[in-house]
Amino acid sequence: MAAGEPGPNEAGRSAPGPSEPAGRAPAIRPFLLTAGRVAGGGAGPPLPVETQVVATSSGLGALDSLAFEQHDLVAASRRPQSVAELAAELRLHLNVVRVLAQDLCTAGHLAVHVPNARTTQDISVLRRVIDGLRAVPDSRGTLRDSG
Amino acid sequence: MVSVPSPTHGAHSVTAVEQPPLPVKLVIAGGFGVGKTTAVGSISEIRPLTTEAAITEVAAGVDDLTHTPGKTTTTVAMDFGCLTIDPTLKLYLFGTPGQDRFGFMWDDVVQGALGGLVIVDTRRLDDCYAAVDYFEHKDIPFAVAVNAFDGEIHHNLDEVRWALDVSEHVPLVVFDARNTGSVRDALLVVLEVALSRAEGTAAG
Ligand SMILES: Nc1nc2c(ncn2[C@@H]2O[C@H](COP(=O)(O)OP(=O)(O)OP(=O)(O)O)[C@@H](O)[C@H]2O)c(=O)[nH]1
Ligand SMILES: [Mg+2]
Repeated sequence: MAAGEPGPNEAGRSAPGPSEPAGRAPAIRPFLLTAGRVAGGGAGPPLPVETQVVATSSGLGALDSLAFEQHDLVAASRRPQSVAELAAELRLHLNVVRVLAQDLCTAGHLAVHVPNARTTQDISVLRRVIDGLRAVPDSRGTLRDSG
Repeated sequence: MVSVPSPTHGAHSVTAVEQPPLPVKLVIAGGFGVGKTTAVGSISEIRPLTTEAAITEVAAGVDDLTHTPGKTTTTVAMDFGCLTIDPTLKLYLFGTPGQDRFGFMWDDVVQGALGGLVIVDTRRLDDCYAAVDYFEHKDIPFAVAVNAFDGEIHHNLDEVRWALDVSEHVPLVVFDARNTGSVRDALLVVLEVALSRAEGTAAG
């Protein structure tokens, strides 16, 4: 089951643990990172926080040519990750990840899987979640670190 | 180091390396210090992560949240965890902070949630009004969980229901945010509300 699965991170990455508070970047930084755009300001609703992002083989092939946050985002998406997980791991504001992910998707470097809003009404999905949750034991061992 | 090369999908240049699961989410809401992060950590398979989210603050007592002149956007820390149901389905749990004097518009995080759990500390009932109002207003399936700090609740459940002014069809449970089984059962109550609502919609 999931608990035994290896974490999404490669050992070599130096992402700091989630327990140490991040040094806050200056307020202007996200704005520069995203070339002046912020998510949710323009067309359509913002990407849901649970949206799954995964690198494409083209993105992985282009890693060397990508810089900074774009590089980190593709590298962190070798295995599927949610927008929220990427933001936490890379210490970026959610909206910055949203914008970068959309850009990288347009460039073909990332596949972005936006969940269907009708899932909340999907009886079979709800039943599967209920069954999966019921299978959780009363107590469990220590949690693995993800970041 | 590419750990997951996909021989079947690798040929096409824009094909994803690995197929992601269908993500679904539940929201765990409530006032400051009621046990949201503790509850997320009790059920999550990873240690809760923190990210910053933009939320909209609305002055208390404002009913029409869509046309509020004085609303401001604030950045707050949000905790979350996850639980892999199976390789094709993953449940995310988002702990959303609340504050007594403000209503928070959590649309950014809550949109698309299967349901919500509002955690209540009976010593500070006021702190959870915002969350209860929010879920009622948005018509999102939810339940209220009274966190029995040290096994004690300072009001009986009928008093809590009356004080919170939640209707009879909103389940009210007592739970321990530190206990995995207890959090699991509280979330199952939320999902049962969501399921019966979905079944009702499908039937009607
Ligand atoms: N005795 C007892 N302590 C609890 C329980 N749940 C949480 N706590 C403690 O209460 C404190 C607050 O819990 P958190 O989980 O951090 O609460 P929170 O709602 O995430 O708090 P904020 O994010 O600051 O709003 C922590 O010190 C917890 O260890 C409980 O059921 N019983
Ligand atoms: Mg917390």
